[in-house]
Amino acid sequence: MPYKTRSAIGKIFLLCWFLTAILVAPKESFYCGSAYSQEDWRKEFDEICSKTENAMEFSVEELRSLVNRCDALKSRVEKLDEPQRKITLRRLQMCRDLYAFAFEMKEKK
Amino acid sequence: MGLLVLFMVGFCFILAFVGGASGKPLPIPHEYGRVIIRNFSEQEGLGAVRFDHWLHRAFYTCRLCHVDIGFAMEANATKIKADTNMKGFHCGSCHNGTRVHGSKKVFAACSLGATLGEDTRCSRCHSVGKKVRKEYEYASFTEKLPRKGVGSLVDWEDAEARGFIQPVDFLSGVSIERPPLTVQKDFSIASRGWMSAIIFSHKKHALWNGCEVCHPDIFPSVKKGTLKYSMFQICDGQYCGVCHDHVAFPLNDCQRCHTNPVRR
Repeated sequence: MPYKTRSAIGKIFLLCWFLTAILVAPKESFYCGSAYSQEDWRKEFDEICSKTENAMEFSVEELRSLVNRCDALKSRVEKLDEPQRKITLRRLQMCRDLYAFAFEMKEKK
Repeated sequence: MGLLVLFMVGFCFILAFVGGASGKPLPIPHEYGRVIIRNFSEQEGLGAVRFDHWLHRAFYTCRLCHVDIGFAMEANATKIKADTNMKGFHCGSCHNGTRVHGSKKVFAACSLGATLGEDTRCSRCHSVGKKVRKEYEYASFTEKLPRKGVGSLVDWEDAEARGFIQPVDFLSGVSIERPPLTVQKDFSIASRGWMSAIIFSHKKHALWNGCEVCHPDIFPSVKKGTLKYSMFQICDGQYCGVCHDHVAFPLNDCQRCHTNPVRR
């Protein structure tokens, strides 16, 4: 078999391998960015909203920071798909409202 | 003065006898706390959903459903959809066919293209207007639970204290790991009328509700004396009346809040 033909077959073979890999590979592996950011918002959400039980124990500065973090996270949550978006926004709003409430109470003192 | 007090006490008894301070008839135990959800199901040819609080509150805290899962505190305000349930949210957070309660798998809430055979499963929730035999019946379920006050409703607080129920406050994959709750101190709420002051127990309320169920939506202030509300507003479903008279013990049970005798 001539060298050129063998080379062409080799290229086709490699191309087939490449296409097969694309088709077989899990869909998630192409969305590393979004998968990471999904994980990322959840981590931040858990971090912020896990502290609500002790909202009245925080200082004014800590509460202000928590409210700001809620506001920053809101814009990221708004980009999620439904119904995750709707449910998480509600939960986040509850956290924010509680911290804002505690902040107001502390500031009035 | 003595005559006036006698008149007031007599009036109070009459009110309690004919239906209570809220002016509503005494609750029917198995219907108390029932919510009929009819946002979308009837348009889809299914019956409305009958949700019984008595069953769910025996197993889960208020906070778990109204904070972690995200159910609104008002009937039909959540706008629950079959699609949302199927994706594992709202009812589907537990009712997904895989989550285990006790030794049993919790049945899946909704599914696409349910066959005739599956109609029985749909009817477990979409039961309004149908004769459905429920897995849990109120009478047998609450048979051994302590009761208190008017209407002989279950005393859930006592039921928990005596170990009859252990409401779960954490749902894996849904709830957030949190440090233990710092219990706020109990405090008294002065009564403007002739009824005695209320000793409000933060401990009792916060353990089941967490903080965000009540603050700031229901009680927008914690500074003593800032927020003034009356029994009229409470009977109208505001403040304490958001839960009491709907799910928590009814307002007819005056002495459960106004624990001390009437002022003389």
